[in-house]
Amino acid sequence: MKIAILSGKGGTGKTTISVNLFSSLKKATLIDTDVEEPNSHLFLKGKTYHEEIVYKKYPVVDHDICNLCGKCGDFCNFNAIIPAKKKVLVFDDLCHDCGGCKLVCPTNAISYADKAIGSIYYQSIEENKQFLYGKLSVGEISGVRIIEDLKNLTKKEEVLLIDSPPGTSCSTVSAIEGSDYCIIAAEPTPFGLSDMKMVVELLREEKMNFGVVVNKSNLGNNDIYEYLEKEKIELLESIEFREEFAKIIARGELLVNHSDYVKDKMSNIIKKVLGDTYA
Amino acid sequence: MKIAICSTGTEPESLVADRFARADYFAIYDSKTLQFSFVDNSAKREGSGAGGKAVKVLGDLDVEIVLVPELGPKAIDALVAFDIKSFQYKQGETVRAALYSYFEKKLPEMLESSVQGKH
Repeated sequence: MKIAILSGKGGTGKTTISVNLFSSLKKATLIDTDVEEPNSHLFLKGKTYHEEIVYKKYPVVDHDICNLCGKCGDFCNFNAIIPAKKKVLVFDDLCHDCGGCKLVCPTNAISYADKAIGSIYYQSIEENKQFLYGKLSVGEISGVRIIEDLKNLTKKEEVLLIDSPPGTSCSTVSAIEGSDYCIIAAEPTPFGLSDMKMVVELLREEKMNFGVVVNKSNLGNNDIYEYLEKEKIELLESIEFREEFAKIIARGELLVNHSDYVKDKMSNIIKKVLGDTYA
Repeated sequence: MKIAICSTGTEPESLVADRFARADYFAIYDSKTLQFSFVDNSAKREGSGAGGKAVKVLGDLDVEIVLVPELGPKAIDALVAFDIKSFQYKQGETVRAALYSYFEKKLPEMLESSVQGKH
């Protein structure tokens, strides 16, 4: 079973819920797909035993064959390839590695070269616990390739948790794609609700199963609860804000190692999403 | 010869734009007809790579000279590939005034980028 944890708004507790759920499971794999700002590894404190560099492909034009027809430039949505007067310009940092320019080239003048855009780190946490996270190099335009690699590497895992990036754009869609269930980490603030509505829209469009964990449930206002009821969205759990939790997280430690309250909450979420046998 | 000027409007008295690739319009002055025409800059709405795209817009119009406020590294590369020379105007003047300054050889030629790339 693949479970993605996402939020829309940043800072609502995606990583907190991901790492604490992961620690509460007997056997599981966690991937941190927030490759622009991965944080899960800072809580899990594993040792990296393997690093794999991730490459993207970008077009290289053979100017002896190219007839400057311009079709590649018309096709590219990101202006990464622009046919000029005597040659074709390629801006490799704008390339999203879709392969389209090669497909539309009538003279077969385009081949692809590799460019390193980031890494995947393999960590051992404890027995039966695998953790992988990706990191996108500074200045690179898209982490989707790294996210896809992370998911391919773990596609056969029995229980896979996916700590997803914030927002509702390409990288989030790529992170949650193919999941059996999505957990929305929300907070009961006007901002948390506003951003969560975008996530709900996304998940409904993708026809995915999902439920909500309201984090910091005693802060903010009641609007989120009214919204969940009106929209008939399952409230999986609500987790209080406590100053001690903030302090534990601020030290980079796991809540389940310090709080029975959070331990119970995690095991309830696991029961509801995965079933009793996993809790 | 056609000379392009980055413009905020569609009149010779419109103010010059403060950005190149995201300028609303390009004023195109044709030295054969001595007339201005104005084209919508389709590159301004691009999500990424507007600099290269804006140069392509000018290249397709057979522009040979462009007067600009600033240029990023990708726009410079593209201008070279399209054989378009660029000169930097002072901000806050009109399109016509920028063109006259160019004719009076008061504008410096841009040979390298003046700002960092913005994706």
